[in-house]
Amino acid sequence: MSTSPAPRLARRINELVFLAFCWTATAVALLFLAAILWSLLSQGIGGLDLDIFTKSTPAPGSVGGLLNAIVGSLMMCVVAMVGAVLVGVLAGTWLSEYARDSHYGKVVRFLNDVLLSAPSILVGLFVYEVLVAPVKGFSGLAGSVALGLLAAPVITRTTEDVLRLQPTALREASVALGAPVWRTILAVIWKSARGGMLTGALLAFARISGETAPLLFTALNNQFLSFDLTKPTANLPVVIFNFALSAYDDWRRLAWAGALLIAATVLTVTVVARILAREPRRS
Amino acid sequence: MNVQVEMPQETAVLELPPEIVKLQIKDLNFFYGQKQSLFDVSVSFAANAVTALIGPSGCGKSTLLRTLNRIYNLYPGQRATGQVLLDGEDMLGPRVNVAALRARIGMVFQKPTPFPMSIFDNVAYGVRLYEKLGKADLANRVEDSLRRAALWDEVKDKLKESGLSLSGGQQQRLCVARGIAVKPEVLLLDEPASALDPISTARLEETISELKRDYTIVIVTHNMGQAARLSDHTGFMYLGKLVEFGETEQLFTNPVTTRARDYITGRFG
Repeated sequence: MSTSPAPRLARRINELVFLAFCWTATAVALLFLAAILWSLLSQGIGGLDLDIFTKSTPAPGSVGGLLNAIVGSLMMCVVAMVGAVLVGVLAGTWLSEYARDSHYGKVVRFLNDVLLSAPSILVGLFVYEVLVAPVKGFSGLAGSVALGLLAAPVITRTTEDVLRLQPTALREASVALGAPVWRTILAVIWKSARGGMLTGALLAFARISGETAPLLFTALNNQFLSFDLTKPTANLPVVIFNFALSAYDDWRRLAWAGALLIAATVLTVTVVARILAREPRRS
Repeated sequence: MNVQVEMPQETAVLELPPEIVKLQIKDLNFFYGQKQSLFDVSVSFAANAVTALIGPSGCGKSTLLRTLNRIYNLYPGQRATGQVLLDGEDMLGPRVNVAALRARIGMVFQKPTPFPMSIFDNVAYGVRLYEKLGKADLANRVEDSLRRAALWDEVKDKLKESGLSLSGGQQQRLCVARGIAVKPEVLLLDEPASALDPISTARLEETISELKRDYTIVIVTHNMGQAARLSDHTGFMYLGKLVEFGETEQLFTNPVTTRARDYITGRFG
């Protein structure tokens, strides 16, 4: 019965319909991506000039750039990443190497996954309650903590995943030489997994570099160039948020330029992460 | 037609004279969680000799090997009871320094496991754990180990290159060099040639024959030809029990147990 021509035709038609549906869905998704990139490029490229990198955010109508926001964003991201890498790598290592099948490990892994998908505005609110409200002052440090809280679960997860991929034989080979487990992890397992671990850190960096919500309550903003993280600190996402909603054309142009800058950074970091993840490995 | 008159024995384990014994196993039982996979194994391995362990997959020969350096301690559910005496000293006891034990009993695995570091550092890795050697002494030790593993001539000009850049056979000999660099007394080989081509296998076998002058070697192998070529004694295992142990020549030409005879003549396994 399956060889009769009618069902075969029906099957081909079904397949064609399904394929057409897939193509359309893909095209729609890509269309929006293209539209976003196009508006970013067309609106942002005009505002990109040297002033962006040399001058701070201006009053409406005067010449200015995004220097204070770029510096503030970089400082907060770097501080956040230092903390998040420290916590994430150690937590991921513990989950993979010491608590793989333990009950406690499973609970921690689950909580980390919850944190991983927590809305960033919640994290911002939490840091506001803990670090901003009690001292009655916004600060770059509070912003760093909020960003770090978003990055750490990502790094924990990716670290655990790449460490689990390392062959058991590699661990046993080191232990069989008389090496303690901690030394095996430091000298062999981390070394073997470093490409993947770095990729995880870069992806976490890409994630936090565009976060706005957690910074609104924590770092707030600063009109001037400042290197003091105990004070309110300018940053690209919040500047974009403020300027894009303003009535001034030059502010809106700066917002577009800032958005393009973040998009370009994220794209670069993601591409680098991909290249590192592809790092050739001979077995 | 060859007619057997006497009843074949169930098990037959040759007792070695105590003065040549390096490693003695007494009433060894092993458990993976609830599942017992070794049953009352008692056998001795002679010093400066190669002992081969053969048997069908899952018979417990690798498990036996893994109890000897207590590598199973890495996994919480696994445990062993009985005794493993190295020069008369029980290695399964709770007070034994396991890391120091592993430095005395080296192990080479089924698949080559070079560390992600240079060829030199691969060999020096274990040495650095236990000895503070000067630069020249360390270099000598590395060279000596690579020579014994018959790898020196192939790598002497590229010691700084990654161990991962070597071929499979070279990687396995690198692992042998790494194992002997720490000057162990016993060397455990877990199917060391199963991932190698015939030429690499032949070179590795030559290396093993050379090494027996200085070490007590226990090798697990699926390849009966290899066991026959390399070893002085052979143990045949089946379903977690040591069925027959004796001189290799005797065991391969005239096994006394039915199981061993059936396995060696290819009737099963």
